[in-house]
Amino acid sequence: METSLASRSLGQPGFLSDVRAFYAVLRREWTIFTRYPSWIIALFIWPLIFPMMYILTARALSGPDGSGLAVFITTTGATDYIGYIIVGTTVWMWQNIVLWDVGFSLRNEQMRGTLESNWLSPTWRFSYLLGQTGPQIVSMVMFIGITALEFGLLFGVRLNGSAWMIALMMLAAIPAIYGLGFAFASLVITVKEANAFVFLIRGMVMIFCGITFPVAILPGWMQSFAKWLPQTYLIHGMRTAAFSNAGIKELLPDLIPLLIFGMFWLAVGYFTFLWMERRARKTGAIGQY
Amino acid sequence: MSQFAVEAHQLVKKFPARPGTGDRPSPAGRGDTGEGSESAPSPKKKRWQFWKKESKAIFTAVSGVDIQIQRGEIFGLLGPNGAGKSTTIRMLCTLLEPTSGTAHVNGYDIVKQANDVRRSLGTVLAGERSIYWKLTGRENLEYFAALYHIPTAIAKKRVDELIERMELKDRANELVEKYSTGMRQRVAIAKALLARPPILLLDEPTLGLDPQAARNLRELIAQLKQEGHTILLTTHYMEEADQLSDRIGIIDTGKIIALDTPAGLKRRIDQKEIIRLEVSGWQAYIGEKLLALQEVENLVAHRQAEADLWEVNMQATDSRAVLPKLVESISQNGTRLVNMNIVKPSLEDVFIHLTGKALRD
Amino acid sequence: MELVTLSQPNIKTQLRALFVIARKDWKVFWRYPLNAVSNVFQPIIWITPVYFMGKAFSTNGQATGFAAYSGSGDYMSYILLGTVLTNFILTVFWGMGYALKNDMDSGVLESNWLAPVSRLLILVGRTLTSLLTTTITSIVMLVIAGALFGFKPTGNTVAAILTAIPMLIGLYGFGFAFAGVVLLMREANTLVDVGSFLVQGFSGTNFPVKSLPYWLIPVSLMLPLTYGLDAVRGFLLKTNTLLPINVEVTILILFMFVMLWIGAQIFYRVERRVRTLGTLGQH
Repeated sequence: METSLASRSLGQPGFLSDVRAFYAVLRREWTIFTRYPSWIIALFIWPLIFPMMYILTARALSGPDGSGLAVFITTTGATDYIGYIIVGTTVWMWQNIVLWDVGFSLRNEQMRGTLESNWLSPTWRFSYLLGQTGPQIVSMVMFIGITALEFGLLFGVRLNGSAWMIALMMLAAIPAIYGLGFAFASLVITVKEANAFVFLIRGMVMIFCGITFPVAILPGWMQSFAKWLPQTYLIHGMRTAAFSNAGIKELLPDLIPLLIFGMFWLAVGYFTFLWMERRARKTGAIGQY
Repeated sequence: MSQFAVEAHQLVKKFPARPGTGDRPSPAGRGDTGEGSESAPSPKKKRWQFWKKESKAIFTAVSGVDIQIQRGEIFGLLGPNGAGKSTTIRMLCTLLEPTSGTAHVNGYDIVKQANDVRRSLGTVLAGERSIYWKLTGRENLEYFAALYHIPTAIAKKRVDELIERMELKDRANELVEKYSTGMRQRVAIAKALLARPPILLLDEPTLGLDPQAARNLRELIAQLKQEGHTILLTTHYMEEADQLSDRIGIIDTGKIIALDTPAGLKRRIDQKEIIRLEVSGWQAYIGEKLLALQEVENLVAHRQAEADLWEVNMQATDSRAVLPKLVESISQNGTRLVNMNIVKPSLEDVFIHLTGKALRD
Repeated sequence: MELVTLSQPNIKTQLRALFVIARKDWKVFWRYPLNAVSNVFQPIIWITPVYFMGKAFSTNGQATGFAAYSGSGDYMSYILLGTVLTNFILTVFWGMGYALKNDMDSGVLESNWLAPVSRLLILVGRTLTSLLTTTITSIVMLVIAGALFGFKPTGNTVAAILTAIPMLIGLYGFGFAFAGVVLLMREANTLVDVGSFLVQGFSGTNFPVKSLPYWLIPVSLMLPLTYGLDAVRGFLLKTNTLLPINVEVTILILFMFVMLWIGAQIFYRVERRVRTLGTLGQH
């Protein structure tokens, strides 16, 4: 005996449903995040103590009489060493978090066993990764906002520039930073010991991009290499935007390379994803761990 | 030397009901060599309940278990999931401290002489997760042999012996992560046998094994008894308990509700016969109707794998007399009797008789 | 037929158990080859921005501001030595708890707990391979970073090493206590990351304690590690020490005994509690 089935499934794709889906993912991510008791530390304590290590080091280097500081001001052109350092460390943390969160998003689903179910749903599969970006960006905005707040309140760090310009820089950086994350997400599924690669990439950012020092201080060959890392432009651009009252014209030398690298890494991310997907279909590796 | 291999007196285990803590991979941290871990999130308290005083919920897993296992016997602890089997075993092997009560393993007190208890035991608990996946089978065995204080020369021979016996020789030098589940289970068993312990504790050893592997394992258990081991076995497979055990303890909701030889247990409901029906289109009200019949007792209905087919077991004093009434009650309103059997009582029926529910979940 | 167990514990088998645990860790460590290599080079990565930041504050290779605090303008030697010491400190401090967490996650903890060996012996055994790999890592770092950035220990190496020993042994006490906490909370990552950062910050790994804001200095002075780092540097680099160096060494020796005893007590108590709660091996 058969009951009659509806001839159409209940799913009705469309713009509104995409927005709804996005919001649902946001809510899910936030719920899961706050269920781990350590979320307060991740959101409020880390933004404070990670830069503090370098700031305290800078204080020590300044010396009790500030003689070291004078040298620093000459070398970097920046009077506010705290603000200078925070920009660098925040960018580093941004890339670091994206590598872990976005990079391991597919792998985590695989470990939980839910990757297959997601794969079977009738959605454009890359949107799964894109969908990760939304909540991720929201949490990064919170993270950066909290950093600014904490350092503003505790250390009197003040912006000498336009918040809009800073936002513009960050917006321009999104393709690069997340493109890298996407490329990672696809690699992580197929590669063992993906952790080592995260350490490598964030290590390179740490060494070459001038997180706590001006890139100009690096030896020539290292400076040349730094030019190939989008984070270099992001850090420099954000420092300029935040502390020297710059307008778009002054920021172009950083914005343009950032956007170009962004397009590049997005493309890499997308094609790596396609490659991984094709490979997984051939080898059936999606369901395995 | 104590008369009994294992002796437990009024073992009780109560757990405070606690939300678990979880671990989140720290995003800005350095991480570690292994894979990141995920665990169940702790339940979130509703905000408005915060001011209410939390009553301490206590869950009693084991509520007064008495066991005496003779040396050289296979003792089966049989019961459904959640009955308290694993908790009992964990107390006996010193991983869990009892709330009250005492127990002696090989003559040693489980609380005060824990180390001696561990020396006397070989335990198989979690099967494939209980060994190192990044070590070979052989390396795993050599490692644990040393932890059990087996002198090196003896250990080497013993490891070779066990690898041979558990049929791991071909792949003993491959990493365990490449083994099948069955092979990993064999490594876990070999590990339990390393120190040639007088007493073996096996917690659901055939769970997750394919039928052939399970059969091999049961043969092994029988052999081990021949070699002089005392074995405490937990299972929820009644055929397994029936086949292997010298004596069986049936445990349910933390208490042992029956303890006897398999034959002795079945004799308890000997006067009764078991009527086993296969019915399609079963409805609950039919069960009530049948139970209302004087001759029928302990009716349990189980939905089968095939969509609309149910297995209905009941006990009856005189099955011939009651049969016509059964057929009449059932063949109505689209319900159909597909198959019928009158059987001798099995352990499962004993269990149903004692508890009113089925052994399988 | 009477079965006799093959288990015959004595000093030799106890030592062998230690060795076997270390050997197992060593094998497992190198079976994740990429991570092993990454581990070895990570310290150099973290040191590099510190070096360049130091350069931004220095003229002609001398960090004069720093020298006013420490008594020596050789910033990099100070940092390199601090990093080496801190690596050993972290290994002992957190290594045991972290190892337990990994065991819980992979399911192998119960098997180890069922064996008739002392728990503390297992914990100590788990640090041995890490100490060895940390030594390797430190040597690699001193060689490479020394070549790149300069490392000039001009003082008494033997005295420096002898001073580090009671500090590390005392840390085992803390490591035991922390391992117990990990067993109970089944959580390691956040505690380790935040905790190790704070420890590094307050004990003077990257900057002289004297340079801290005055209201934070008392926290540093309460940590025995501060005196350990200070004394080792005092011996090896001839920097100024917070207290007379003999006083600092005495503090370390006292710390060693006290911490070992307290740590072991805490561990046993917590472990007992875990066995009562029944959460052993869960993750």
